[in-house]
Amino acid sequence: MHLPRALPLPAVLAGLLIATGLSLLAVSVLPSVIRGPAIAALSLTKAMLIVLGFMRLRRESPVLAGALIAYAAVICLLAGARIALAGLS
Amino acid sequence: MTVAVTNRSLDGAKPVPEAGMELLLWILVWSELIVFGALLGAFLLLEWLDPAALAALRQTLDLPLAGIATVVLVSSGFFAATAASGRQPRGNLVAAALGGFIFCALKIAAFAHELPALAAMEGRLGELYMLIVGFHFAHVLFVSGLLLLVALRPASRHVAGVATIWHLIDLVWLLILPVVYLG
Repeated sequence: MHLPRALPLPAVLAGLLIATGLSLLAVSVLPSVIRGPAIAALSLTKAMLIVLGFMRLRRESPVLAGALIAYAAVICLLAGARIALAGLS
Repeated sequence: MTVAVTNRSLDGAKPVPEAGMELLLWILVWSELIVFGALLGAFLLLEWLDPAALAALRQTLDLPLAGIATVVLVSSGFFAATAASGRQPRGNLVAAALGGFIFCALKIAAFAHELPALAAMEGRLGELYMLIVGFHFAHVLFVSGLLLLVALRPASRHVAGVATIWHLIDLVWLLILPVVYLG
């Protein structure tokens, strides 16, 4: 099977910095109902960039990469749901 | 980074020491993730049960400083990843460690004005916040020292191991951020 090429490290760093900036912007601009899913998506994107971009785990061990991303996804979804539900109450 | 948890010896009898170390490393990584996961889960639960304490906590937190600390930490992760890919490992490990120490300095600056307000807070949320962030701070400080130690004699296996732990610390911080700061 042909493995995908690794993401270049400067591109991973740029993605992380942009996602961090967008997260901080979302806190100050968006209403909490939209902010929750936005922050969850941005946080999961950052976690994926760390696992796939910096650790390069997908090429080395797809199972470990999947497990780490699933772990991050659970926490990001819970955090996003809590932020969104706080806006409804 | 090199991960070889599925490495086996060719004759099937002799254990491979490097594979054993890799397995130990991943047991350590998952132990850390389980502990931080439990702490973040408890924090989310307390946030949900006590919105008044959450509002009081958020007033004491310095979000711009946390943002700057995040930029510093992910940048140091970049240097650790560059070292693990074999490019100037010594210089990049030192740069990653420097990023870790700057992160610690930023957190100390944040704690200096958060602690008096947290001490006056009622409920468990403030204590749990200090436990999570303080525990992470201790990890950053300790592994920054390890990065410097490995930089003295940067063998590729050690560089890959310490970079993995550093990325774990990055990952944990990126999960602390939405749970604690970005609500």
